[in-house]
Amino acid sequence: MNPPGRADVASVSDDLRAFLASATGRDELLRIPPGTALFGTEVGLDSLTGTLLLREIQRRFGVDVAGEDLNLDSLATLGTLAAFVAQRARPEGHP
Amino acid sequence: MTREGPVKCVVWDIDNTLLTGTYLESGDQPPGADPALTAVLAELGERGILHALASKNPPEAAEHTARVTGWRFAAAECGWGSKSGALARIAAALGIAVDALAFVDDDPYERAEVGLALPGVLVLSPEDAAEAAGWPEFSPPVITPEARRRGEMYAERRRRQAAERSFGGTREEFLASAGTQVGIAAATAADVPRLEELAVRTRQFNSAAGLPGPAMSQDWFRGLLSAPDRDVVTVRLRDAFGDDGVVGGCVIARDAGTWTVPLLMMSCRAMGRGVIDALLAWLIRHAARAGARRLLIPCVANSRNVPLRLALAAAGFRAPGPAGPAPAPAPYQRDLGPPLPALPRRVSAPGEPGGDAA
Repeated sequence: MNPPGRADVASVSDDLRAFLASATGRDELLRIPPGTALFGTEVGLDSLTGTLLLREIQRRFGVDVAGEDLNLDSLATLGTLAAFVAQRARPEGHP
Repeated sequence: MTREGPVKCVVWDIDNTLLTGTYLESGDQPPGADPALTAVLAELGERGILHALASKNPPEAAEHTARVTGWRFAAAECGWGSKSGALARIAAALGIAVDALAFVDDDPYERAEVGLALPGVLVLSPEDAAEAAGWPEFSPPVITPEARRRGEMYAERRRRQAAERSFGGTREEFLASAGTQVGIAAATAADVPRLEELAVRTRQFNSAAGLPGPAMSQDWFRGLLSAPDRDVVTVRLRDAFGDDGVVGGCVIARDAGTWTVPLLMMSCRAMGRGVIDALLAWLIRHAARAGARRLLIPCVANSRNVPLRLALAAAGFRAPGPAGPAPAPAPYQRDLGPPLPALPRRVSAPGEPGGDAA
């Protein structure tokens, strides 16, 4: 069970994988492990896909990653981003 | 909040605005174009300002309006949802900020709805719009070849995006297959008007937007061109779909040990085409080769320039400590020790194999 107002890291990770795969048209991103670097060659997050990803996170979880993380260090890996978002996610229905 | 900066795109209503009547109520004889506003379309278009349509009508109304005004609109939103929603989708499709839009509608209710939902949009009645060509918001200080060709470039961009969607591989593979070429070179006096235009117009990729500092006028750029310890650089972009001309640039201050980039800018039209990443990678390699140990890019950190902050983070730049009170810049910086980033082969740049020694 999750405390109120928090989301499950594993389910956030799955949502992020699904978004990355659909935004890039690359299904292999559905299977990346949590330690995968987002800016590295495998995912290759650039300013366009990155902006779309952060917009989707704000829409779905109510978390303003760029507003809370000046250096965007939370974008280091899939796992660090999912943990950052899950920690701050608002309960559903209260965007 | 009030809007600031020039308008990049005017979003027009159709019924009783661009048309002299109501499309759906006119049977077999749809209304003609309003002559005064048709002249405004042409005059603003000459200045590089885009036009788009937002109408509570079927899509045929947009086709009819394009035909009778003789204008190729950069985007059209026809449907029964809110106009503010239509404007947000148009801004996203064109890759420009919502605050760079103006909106013209004869219906005071629609104007109020957009004004309330999107306070950064310049909202005008058709009467206002007929005079707006004389207003500073619609008067870019310079009109460059890039500005005049802007409407055409958006059409090329739509074809490029359609090709990329059906491509299937990685973005890197698509850029290579499209014959993408990025040219980094020292700026000359002929580039000065375009550099000023980029400094004034770019928002999502502009490290100095919102910072107090020197007015980035043509005189300022000309002064830098002859300064011994300053470099001004342009970035050109072209591929099989079209030639975008100069899409970005930067200013470099060469001091012993630390090089500083007081201005880094790119047109948002070039987003997703590997340009900003190429420029940052070249800056790192160039400074390291010259013996600098650190590269500093002061950049205000706000929600508007998230794309530039993402590019800086991806290139390994970090701002130590919390940012000062807005609008103080965050001191994004990177050590220049090895390993240095690779530069894709599609990039030609001074000091690089195959690059011109500008």
